[in-house]
Amino acid sequence: MKKDALTFLVIVLGLAEVVLLAHWIDDHRQDMNAPISEERLYLDGATAKRLTFAFNGLAADWYWMRSLQYVGGKIVHYEDSHDGRFNLGNLSSLNLTLLPPLLRVTTTLDPQFIAPYEYGAVILPELNQDEAISLLNYGIAANPSSWRLYHYLGYIYWQRKDYAQASDVYAAGAKLPGAPAWMAALSARMKAEGGSRDAAREMYRHLYEASNDEAVREMVTKQIMRLDSLDERDVIRHVLTDYRAQSGHCASSWRDVAGALRTARLKIDSTTGAPLDPSNTPYRLIKDGCDVDLSENTNVPKR
Amino acid sequence: MSQFKPNKITLINNTVSDLGLDSNSVGLTVRRTVAIARNAFREAVRDRVLYNLVIFALLLIAGAIYLGELSAGQESKVIVDLGLSAMLLFGVFIAIFVGVGLVYKEIERRTLYAILSKPIARSQFLLGKYLGLCLTLLVNVLIMGVGVSLALIYVRRGWDPLVFKIWPAILLIYVELMIVTGVALLFSTFSSPALSALLTFFVFIIGHFSADLKTLGNSAGSVAARWLFRSLYYGLPNLSNYSVITTAAHGYVPEPRGLAVSIAYAIAYIVVLLAAATLVFNRRNFK
Repeated sequence: MKKDALTFLVIVLGLAEVVLLAHWIDDHRQDMNAPISEERLYLDGATAKRLTFAFNGLAADWYWMRSLQYVGGKIVHYEDSHDGRFNLGNLSSLNLTLLPPLLRVTTTLDPQFIAPYEYGAVILPELNQDEAISLLNYGIAANPSSWRLYHYLGYIYWQRKDYAQASDVYAAGAKLPGAPAWMAALSARMKAEGGSRDAAREMYRHLYEASNDEAVREMVTKQIMRLDSLDERDVIRHVLTDYRAQSGHCASSWRDVAGALRTARLKIDSTTGAPLDPSNTPYRLIKDGCDVDLSENTNVPKR
Repeated sequence: MSQFKPNKITLINNTVSDLGLDSNSVGLTVRRTVAIARNAFREAVRDRVLYNLVIFALLLIAGAIYLGELSAGQESKVIVDLGLSAMLLFGVFIAIFVGVGLVYKEIERRTLYAILSKPIARSQFLLGKYLGLCLTLLVNVLIMGVGVSLALIYVRRGWDPLVFKIWPAILLIYVELMIVTGVALLFSTFSSPALSALLTFFVFIIGHFSADLKTLGNSAGSVAARWLFRSLYYGLPNLSNYSVITTAAHGYVPEPRGLAVSIAYAIAYIVVLLAAATLVFNRRNFK
């Protein structure tokens, strides 16, 4: 009995020591891994595919989750160090050097896995447009009947302001069986008015509907907010210009133009009379009341 | 009062005596083989081989609960990849580690002498052992398949078309496991369990690189090298024919003709393996 108690004590003490040492290792591992965290991947896609033989689907899932964790980890780190919410329009500040190879390995392991192409189409153009186009072309070669990939490729060309190429890609995608009718309509629109806000709004709307990824949907929602805000600011500028023409000076506060803003059907903050942007943050007057801009605290992306 | 518990030797002797060894009919041969297969299955269950299902279930439950958040809406694909890969991996481990002991354990315990002293052909003994382990694997794979289907229904909070579409892939996994079991049985007839396990594992790995062997055979400079690689390609089982997990996760179902040819290939290969195992086993002297 006494011997058993002693053995039990050894087990408990041993486990306690294991926990303490694990804590110590965890605390110091980050420092040890920091210099190599951004090193190139050891395996390229083709090698990884060979090594994982029957399990390449599972390996692709692992690389996919690793890609998401990589971006997520960078965003968390950014928010911790910048004391604020990260804006997806500011991806280039994250230094996502490993994302292109991670997505490349994922899609090489499982070329029919559509989610990484979609993610790449939305995230990669901010970092490397050529890489994004190359990834999507690879996806189209592996999945020639997937109209969604044409949609994502067209989106990248549109972002690049290459409206003619975007139009051609949408036209090619529209010919595929099962492609929605709006693909052909978007192709025509790209050709006629690729740079317009309405074309952009339509593009984002279809991107939102085609995606199941919450991060993509959030990004698209914000871009639609940005477009709405641009329209609102045009209206506000018009009101401010009219006020200046009538009074001979710029508005000293929002109250000066509150009536006109209400007439223009803009949302108004009841206490200050300031018009509200799509994230319900008041706009601010700039240039001594002659112009309008987004507030510093707004959730509407600036670009 | 102590309760009588039959040991393994008693069970085998009972099984053999139940066979009615006074007839040479085909039906009797089948009954003998089935009796040995049933006994091999019982032994696997007694050895707690099916306990791997508990680990599998825990893996699926954890996957179904946590992978949704990590995979950004790709739960179904991840569940199928995870479930079918685990099914193949666990199955291969069972096929190898139980398969290599099928004959060796009987020799070690000397129960083989009791069986072979009866009018049971060695080929019947091997076939029975093989079928017994295949039955164990079938039960394992079926339960795992149902588990993956239930996990799919759980993550989708309702019906998922993948629930039906994964079954051809599960069938091919089972067929692959039958080949691996045959390989393990062949090695176990002339080698120690450790070496047999190692060799079977090598065959499993190389079997998935068959396409590379063929490419090497076609591109090799010397005639000897070309023949060597071609011989390996045709001699070793082409297990890549059964690797459809990745495509199954996207809902692709193999063509019926391709499926039938893959199964026919497996049957032919298994027949060769069992015949070779019988040939070796017949030549062994157990006196």
